[in-house]
Formats: sequence, structure tokens, C-alpha cells
Amino acid sequence: MFRVSVDVGGTFTDLVALNEETGKVENIKVPSVPRNPERGVTDALEIFLRGHTPEDVKIVGHATTIATNALLGQVDLEIPKIALVTTRGFRDVVEIGRQRRSEVYNLFFQRPPMLVERKLRFEVDERVEHDGRILKALDEGQLENVLDEISGLGVSSVAFSFLNSYANASHEERAFAMAKAKNASLYLTASTRVSNEYREYERTSTAVVNAALMPIIHKYLSKLEEDLRKMGVEAPLYVMQSNGGLSMAMSVAEKPVTIVESGPAAGVIAAAWLGELAGARDIISFDMGGTTAKVGTVRGRIPEIVPEYEVAGHIHMGRLVKGSGYPVRFPFVDLAECSSGGGTIAWADEGGALRIGPTSAGAYPGPACYGRGGSKPTITDANLLLGRLNPGNLLSGGMPIYPQKGREALEDLGDKVAMGTEEVATAIIRIANSMMGKILRMVSVERGYDPRGYTLVAFGGAGPMHVCALAEELEVKRIIVPSNPGMFSALGLLTADMFHDYIHPVVKRVSLVDPIEIEAAFRMMEKEGKDTLTSEGVKLRSMSFIRQFDLRYLGQAYELTVKAPDRVDAESLAATIIDFHRRHTESYGYSAEGEPVELVNLRLRAVGAIPKPDLKETNCRGKPDKIGTRRIYFETDDLWAETSIYERGGSWNSEFTGPAVIEQYDATTVIYPGWCVETDEFGDMILERVER
Amino acid sequence: MSVDRTTVEVIRGALVYAAEEMGIALKKSAYSPNIKERMDHSCALFDPKRRLIAQAEHIPVHLGSMAFAVREGLSAYKGTLGPGDMILLNDPYLSGTHLPDLTLIAPIYHVDHLIGYAANKAHHTDVGGKAPGSIAGDSTELYQEGIIIPPVKFVRGGAIDPELSWLIRSNVRTPDVQMGDLRAQIAANYTGIRRVLELTEKYGAYVLHTSMEEIMDYSERRMRAAISEMPSGVYEASDYMEDVPGWGFAELRVRVTVEGGGISFDYSGTCPQVEAPINAPLGVTIAGIYYTLITVTDPTIPVNDGCFRPVTLIIPEGTMTNPRRPAPVAGGNVETSQRNVDVLMKAFSKIVPGKVTAAGLGTMNNVSVGGIRPDGTPWTFYETIGGGSGGRYNSDGVDGVHVNMTNTMNTPIESIEAYLPMRFLSYGLLPDTGGAGEYRGGCGIERSWMLTAPRATLSILAERTKINPWGLEGGEPGALGEYVIVKRNGEILKLPSKCTVQMEEEDSLIVHTPGGGGFGDPKKRAPEKINRDISNGLVSVEAALRIYGIKIL
Repeated sequence: MFRVSVDVGGTFTDLVALNEETGKVENIKVPSVPRNPERGVTDALEIFLRGHTPEDVKIVGHATTIATNALLGQVDLEIPKIALVTTRGFRDVVEIGRQRRSEVYNLFFQRPPMLVERKLRFEVDERVEHDGRILKALDEGQLENVLDEISGLGVSSVAFSFLNSYANASHEERAFAMAKAKNASLYLTASTRVSNEYREYERTSTAVVNAALMPIIHKYLSKLEEDLRKMGVEAPLYVMQSNGGLSMAMSVAEKPVTIVESGPAAGVIAAAWLGELAGARDIISFDMGGTTAKVGTVRGRIPEIVPEYEVAGHIHMGRLVKGSGYPVRFPFVDLAECSSGGGTIAWADEGGALRIGPTSAGAYPGPACYGRGGSKPTITDANLLLGRLNPGNLLSGGMPIYPQKGREALEDLGDKVAMGTEEVATAIIRIANSMMGKILRMVSVERGYDPRGYTLVAFGGAGPMHVCALAEELEVKRIIVPSNPGMFSALGLLTADMFHDYIHPVVKRVSLVDPIEIEAAFRMMEKEGKDTLTSEGVKLRSMSFIRQFDLRYLGQAYELTVKAPDRVDAESLAATIIDFHRRHTESYGYSAEGEPVELVNLRLRAVGAIPKPDLKETNCRGKPDKIGTRRIYFETDDLWAETSIYERGGSWNSEFTGPAVIEQYDATTVIYPGWCVETDEFGDMILERVER
Repeated sequence: MSVDRTTVEVIRGALVYAAEEMGIALKKSAYSPNIKERMDHSCALFDPKRRLIAQAEHIPVHLGSMAFAVREGLSAYKGTLGPGDMILLNDPYLSGTHLPDLTLIAPIYHVDHLIGYAANKAHHTDVGGKAPGSIAGDSTELYQEGIIIPPVKFVRGGAIDPELSWLIRSNVRTPDVQMGDLRAQIAANYTGIRRVLELTEKYGAYVLHTSMEEIMDYSERRMRAAISEMPSGVYEASDYMEDVPGWGFAELRVRVTVEGGGISFDYSGTCPQVEAPINAPLGVTIAGIYYTLITVTDPTIPVNDGCFRPVTLIIPEGTMTNPRRPAPVAGGNVETSQRNVDVLMKAFSKIVPGKVTAAGLGTMNNVSVGGIRPDGTPWTFYETIGGGSGGRYNSDGVDGVHVNMTNTMNTPIESIEAYLPMRFLSYGLLPDTGGAGEYRGGCGIERSWMLTAPRATLSILAERTKINPWGLEGGEPGALGEYVIVKRNGEILKLPSKCTVQMEEEDSLIVHTPGGGGFGDPKKRAPEKINRDISNGLVSVEAALRIYGIKIL
């Protein structure tokens, strides 16, 4: 039986199939079809099925960027017409947002386009207080009229978000039920079903994003499931969520807001899994593709998570610009991202300074050296000029390369910034590395984690080319380059578990909470998680539950998430508070033991463990095949070195030291001087820093 | 020996990033909603000569004035600061902004070598004085506005001075909150220090300092190039503050001279300082000039001391834009600063027409309220409310947003209601408030709430309730703002733009903020835009008929 996963990226759709009996992995790469992303999936699967029967497929895992692309306004993925119903007096909360402009010095700033137009935002009389008391009952007659009006407007999806509903959701639920009764074909979202925390703007925004995505994702996943059935594949379809866990396609269709960062999350999950195999507990994942570089951290085998994210927002200095996107409250695998991919364009600003990105030449026309009409120099062109890339072709001969075109583009840029051609190529690499160094620091040093104790896992087509320089910068001593770096995110889908996250707001001083009530609330969430996992076919023995508290000093607005006791009582609660003080000191340099601590939320993650792939050991050789030599520039040593080029494949039982270049179908690994490389039994390369 | 450009670029990015990181540490560990929710704070790094080298993009009025605070605040401590020391001050005549803004400055030492300074400024919800929130609308001298802290060594060798801490605690209404926020400010400076020391370890002090010089020179080159593109000449503009005791309307006047790659700003003719809390300390006035200059030249120029080398300032002492002690200043950075930018923008509209918008709402709509809870504990709340931004040559103004000298966030209503005796009644956009034009101004905001405690003291400090935000190129002005209390018995009290009054249980405050001015002739407005505004309820049918002269079919 095969476990199959499909990762749909901007340029390629990658399929990885694991033969459960033999542990052998098959890789298939086909072009993505942006207008019909499900086509990429079925195209890849069709190739796979040439050698296998549909009954061989046991499960299908899937990562997709369709939600992000829709929110970014991709053609043919237009956001449908949706409506929002709010408490009277508050329909504009979602438009005003936090009343802030995203760029302080830009008088020509714009808000992101509204997902729900003002004329489609309706108000009804009702009011709940902050403690859940009902001040004014829901006026059902008004709601009835609003629903009538909506039904005549061609709206396909409706969100309900009432003030203080996090404290009492009964009005939202009633509105939801009335709408369902009226028109069963409408897509419906109650804000507390997608985010039951306080802060009206963020909760409403999450609900609106969900409502906007529902028709698109529902249609997409239904079509995909239908296509799979037509091909005879009856296996269940699971989709990667932004939190790094899989969920059944049809649960995701109800809560599409959970899969916005589906694709990037898969990479981090893959890195966590590989690290575990290699005995590395603490990992930094480094994924450098065509348009961006993305990094994340895994501590003690658990990927770092953030509770909120602004989707489709702008990135500035490696961070999302507040107010430039649509806030979504859902746990996201915490990624830092910068516009530094192979196709990222280098240019000169008005002051004659060299800049990199954010524009990318994308897959088309691509870097200048692809010879498809691109005239702007990219990071790939710089790497080619410095000898790191094969000047003949890429993709094992699948793509011809025109070094002269790349050189000309770099020469032009050099003229503008008064640099020689080699100098400008080196500068591009150094600036790109400094940008990536910054985001690597953000997820490590900035969080108080010393990168020197971490292992870097490098993947994506360009990751293994830059990783040594970055490791030098961060003083990381160990690097893993998986056997198929360009297919690694797809492999990650085979390694993920099923996740469901639950949250229960408390917002009470710890000294005033009743441990019995807290324990009961956790158990209630556990039951819900258990029921959901059971419905997805997970056996009880494969289930586990992770409990957490959101805590802060009374008066603060941002919480620290700490592990909660497996059984809450007075004693274990006290121990958790001591842990909180310690964490606060780690994060902010001080703690305030004398001050009251507030318990804001209980968090529960229900995990349905999925057996991890049992990979087959690869053929072992003495050494990889040497296929030639090239002159390559190493900026860390400021030298051009005649460097041996090897062809990757399988594992080998001797180690050797850089400089060296190892080429393969989907990536090129550059081993810098001072680095030693060997493989594990699965063919993953392990690079270690040696004394020079 | 010079440093290669790539290293300079890497160091520049790292310094800006360090300042951004300081802001995150401050926000995440702060106590008052004003900082943690609204982000009313700013962070920056300075070189050993106390010149601004990198800043995080937070609140413009803080940033421009922080250079002033660092320069003036440290003068008394020449040679007497050591590692682990931090200087605290809020004296407006030294720190550059009003008393609620506490500035904390830390020297950065590498062994014994001074590398630079980390500094941050945060708006505290209360620093004492005559009214809760310390932004009274009717002060006549500085002493009524709160505790005045001269530059003092608040942190000595890494520990807070307990006596200074007592002194401050005894002078403010919510001491625990203020001390929590000060601890967060300390945490922010530590973050900045740590990052700069890492850079020093990596590159060495020499490379770091040489790079800093080059970073400033680079910004200077770009700023000079941008100014050189402006037509030489002398350009004048004026605008007014309103409800000013003794004056009625008080004029702000500026003369901008562009010549030979340099630019000068002359405020001669501006109204003398007044006995009302709308005098802008020099730091605030300068901040407005810097802000305007960056927005009308090129916002991508890295902001540091170098940007401002081509600038000459003539700001006569004893005027509203450079008052003498003890003139009250609470509204200087929040209100006069906005008018200052309006005046400057009006002048620049004649120099670089395509880069200036019509006037935005021109006020921050400061609302401060506080009282005593039934259990005897004091509470205070402060917020500013956005409105319409000005229409632009290529697009409408933005509805319901903060403009120019501030960029604070709102406090979530669900957060306010959970902790304070206030119940909100509305928060939304106001139709027909954006000035008409080919590109209309943004709409103002209605925000209203009811008091649920027995009583409270309310202070309003606002503008543009008498003189509308102006339009440009034939665009019409934006609507005026309005502040009204509806008493429990239905009686309606219209409030002046600057006042301190008492509220009783179930009284409601209704704030209507001004809209932005329009840009261009309303008759040229595209019909589909008018229709969209009508269908979205932002322009009424009557107004559309009257102003745009369209026929509804």
C-alpha cells in the first residue's frame, strides 16, 4: 500500500509516494496549473497510477496555497460575495480595524480591499456584556428581515460576529441556526466557532476570512475528492493546516481559515521529522525556493506556533506589517519569511545602493540566465556567475542555461551601482544572506534560543546552496540536507499527525480560579477532540492531548503560553505559575513574583498520531561520482577555488571535506571550505563544521 | 580605512531591526492598554554623539522629538554614566514632548567604550496633575499637567532607584500600571543594548562607527538629491488652532525656502505662547517638520540624523511652536503637532503638488477619563480616535484612520468593557463627512459609550470643530468634529473642543471626528465611485445630488 502526498506550489506540484511495505519513496514533479490547482494533483497522480492501481493508495495528504492565493487576489480565484451581520452600531469594526495605517510615512497608503463591502454588512439589535450577561435579547424579527434581504443579494456566504460573543455565544448560535433553517445552501460562519477569544476586530476578521474562503475551498476540495474518486482512488483526503497538523478535507471545508499557510507548514513539519530521525531535538528549518525564503524553529521536536497571523499582508524587515493584511486568529506554524528566493530580483535604488527584492522574476520569465526574456539579474544569476550552479543546464538536463545572459544582466546592474560584475554578484549573495540571516536570527536568537546548539535543515531548490554561509553567520555547527530537497515539503505531509486545536477563555486571576472547574473544562475539550478524531477514523490508542495555559501578569495584554498540568489541582497549578515567572524572565529579562497572574485561556490540542514513514536504507557506495571541477567563489574566505563537482545519489560510507559541490535533479548543495560531509543510511547529507 | 558598502548595508539593516525589536519587547511586556493595545511608544538608537542612527517606525511625533530628548536629557550627565545606568525624563522643555511621554535612555558600553545609546519613549496613561489621564483640556501652566521629571538616573547599575520609584508612585493615579510600563521600557532598552553589543562583537567598534557615519552620509545624499528636485523659491502658508483662551483662533505660520539643495523653515509670525495646553515644545515642532519632509520627499530614505542636515530652522522662542517654561503643553504633541503638519503640507502643496494630500482630520481627538471605583481604586483611560485622511491626486482619502503625527491603534472595545466602567454604543464610519472632490476625503468616525460607574472626570482635547480640514485643487473641506454628552435624562450638552467636565452614571459621550478634505473638482468625480459611496452608505443621496449634481435614475 502507498501513502501519497501532493504539495501544490507556485511553480511545481510535487508528489511523493511511500511504499509502506518496502519503505521506498517515489517522486513525481509536474508543472502546477494556477487556474485549476486540482489539475496539478490529478496530473501527478495520473503519472503515479501508470505504475500502480488506485487501490494501492491508502491515504492522500495534501498541502495547498489556494487560500493564500485567493486572498492575494489571484485571477480566477475571486473572493465571492459575502455578508456580515453584527451588533447594532458596530458593522464598521471590520473596516476601521485598529485605525492604524500600515506605512507611517506613506501618504498614499491603502487599506487592503474589504472582503465584505459595507453595503453587505448588516446590524441587528442584541447586546451581551463582557461577563456573558445578556443586556438586550436578540431581535429575531430584525434578523429575519436581514436574512430575507441577504437572500435577494446573490450572497453565497454569511458571517455572524456579535460584540462580547466570546463570553456568551448564544446569540451568534441562534442567528446561525435561523440562517441555516432559512437557506440550507448558504455557507455560514459564527465568529466564536472559528475564534472564541476577546478583541472584536481580530475575531470578526477571522470570521470574515473564513466566510470568504468557504465557497472557494469547499468547491476546490469537493472537486478534488470527486476527481480522485473518478480515478478510482477511494483513499481519504487529508489537508495540512497552518498549525502543522492534518485534518479531513471535509472538516477543513467548514473551517478553511485553518489552511491559509498550509504549504509552508508542511516544510517545517518535515524538518521536525527528519531531525528526530537524525537525533536532533532542536532544529531550524530553512526553505529557500523561487520567490521567498522561509524559516521556522523546532524545539524539542515541537514546531514553534504563533496564535495569530495577518494573511495576505506585506512583509517588511522580515515581519508582517501590522494593518496590511487580514488578521486571522488560529495557531500558525511560526515562520519568518523574506523575499530572497532564486528568482528574486536585484536592483539599484535612486541613491545608487544595491537592493534585493521583493519583486521576483517568478517561474516566468525567470532569472536572466534561463533565457526566457528576463533581463533583470536575480539571485540565481549571481550564483551562476560565481560558479555554484551548473553552467550547462539544470534539472538534470531538463532546463538549458545561458550564462552569458545572466552575466549581461549583472553587468548592467554593476554599472548602476559602480561595481564590477563579480563584485555585484558577490554583493547580491551577501545581501541575500544577510536578509536570510536576519530571519534566521528572528526565529532563534530573538526568541532567546542559541542557534549554536541547533541543527539547520536546508531544503527547497536553493536552500542547500546558501546554507553553509548562513550556518557560518549563526555559528551553527551541523546541517542536514535531505535526499530530495526540492520535494521535501511534500514528504513532510507523510510525516504529519492529525491535529485539532481548542481554546477555552477564562480571563481570571489564578488566585481566584477553581482548579476543579479548570480540570473539567480541559476534559470537555478532550471529549470534543476525541469525538472529532474518532469521526476521522483515528483509533483511541493513537490519540493524545496536549494542554496549555495562556498566562500573563494582571494588566498585561500579551500572554505567554506554558505547559499546563495533565491533572489540574492546587499544587500543580502553583508549579505552573513558577514556570511562568521563569519563562517571563527568559522572554523579557524580568519577572514580578509578587504580582497577580491572570489565566487567560486554556488550550488543548487533540493529536491523532499517524505512523511515520519507515524509509528504506539506500544503496551504499564508497563515494559519490565525481563529474568534473569548476572554479567557484566562496565569499566566506574571499577566494576562488577549483572545486570538485559530484553527482548525488544514495548514501556513501566515507566522509570528505569542502570545498565541493553536489548536484542532483532538484537542488545543488555547495559545501564550503571548513565543512565536512557524510550521509546517513537514508541518503540524507550531514554537514559538520570542522576546525581549519 | 573605509568599510565596504555591503557591510554598511548589513549594519544599517541590523540597527533598524534592533529598534523594531525594542518596540516588540516594550509592547509585549507593558501593562497599560495605551502601550500594549495602542502601541503609543517609540524606540530608536543613537551614536555616541547622540545623533539618531536608526529608528523603528512607530509614532512620528515621538521619533522626531526623541533626538531632542537624547541630546538635551544627557547634557547633565556627561562622563558620569556607566553600564547599567538609564536616564529617565519627561520635562517637556528637555524631552521635547508632553509630560505623559516618559523617555528612558540607556548608554551602550562595550567594556569601557561608549558605542551609542538605546532610547524609548512611551505614553503613560497617567502622570498625575489636575485631571485623570494627565491631558486636561483647561490647564494654564505646566505644573497642573503632572509630575515633572528632570533627567534622573532611574536605573543605576542595573537596578531601579527605589527612592525615585517612590517619588513617581506617589505622584500618579495608577502607580502599579506606571511601574509595570517602566519595567517594560527597561526591557526594551536591554533588547537594544544586546543587539548593538552583538554587532560590536562581530564587526568591532571601529567598523560599526565608521558604518554609522556612512549610513548618515547616505541619507544626507539622498535627502539633498530630493530637495534639489524641488523648484527653488519661498513658499508661505498658515492655519489656525481654535478655542484658544485670549485669542479665539491662534495662527501658525510657516515660510519654507528652497534653495541650492537646502531647505529652511521659518515660523516667524506664529502666535505667541498661550495660557492653554496647546503649546508645542520645540521637539514637537521639529518632529512635524521632519515627518513632513520625509513624506514629501521619499519615505524610503533611511531616517537618521543625516536626513536633516540640509535643514535650517528659525523657530522664535516664546511662540506657540517654541514656548518658554512654564507654558502648558499637554496638547502640543497631539493637537498643535497636527496643525503644524497641516501648515507645512499646505506650503508643500505649492512646491510638490503631486506628493501632498488634502488635509486629513487634523486632530487626534484625545479622550481622557477616570475616576474612583466603588472599591476605592482609581482608574484612568486614554484614547485617541482617527477620522478621515485627505483626498489624493490619484485616490480617495482613507476612512476612519489616524493621520500624520500619530499612528496609535484603538483599544479593543471588548478589552475596555472587561476592565473599565464603560459600555460602548457605537463605533463606525460617519456618512457625508469626507470632503467632496474628484477624489473625496476619508470619512470621520462615530464612537460613543456610556459611563457605568457613579461618576468620572472627562477631558477632551481636540480641534477642527470650527475650522474644517481644507481641500485641495478645488476639493471641498471635510466635515467638522463634534463632542456631545447625552445626560441620563436625555439632556444634550455640546462640549467645546478643549475641556474637563464631570460625567455621571449612564451619561453617554458621543464623539464625531472630522472627515478629510477632498482633492480636485467634485464635478469630475467618476459616477461609479459616487454610486459605490451611495450604495455603501458613505454618501447620502441628497448630498450626491447637491454636491456632485448627479441624477439618480
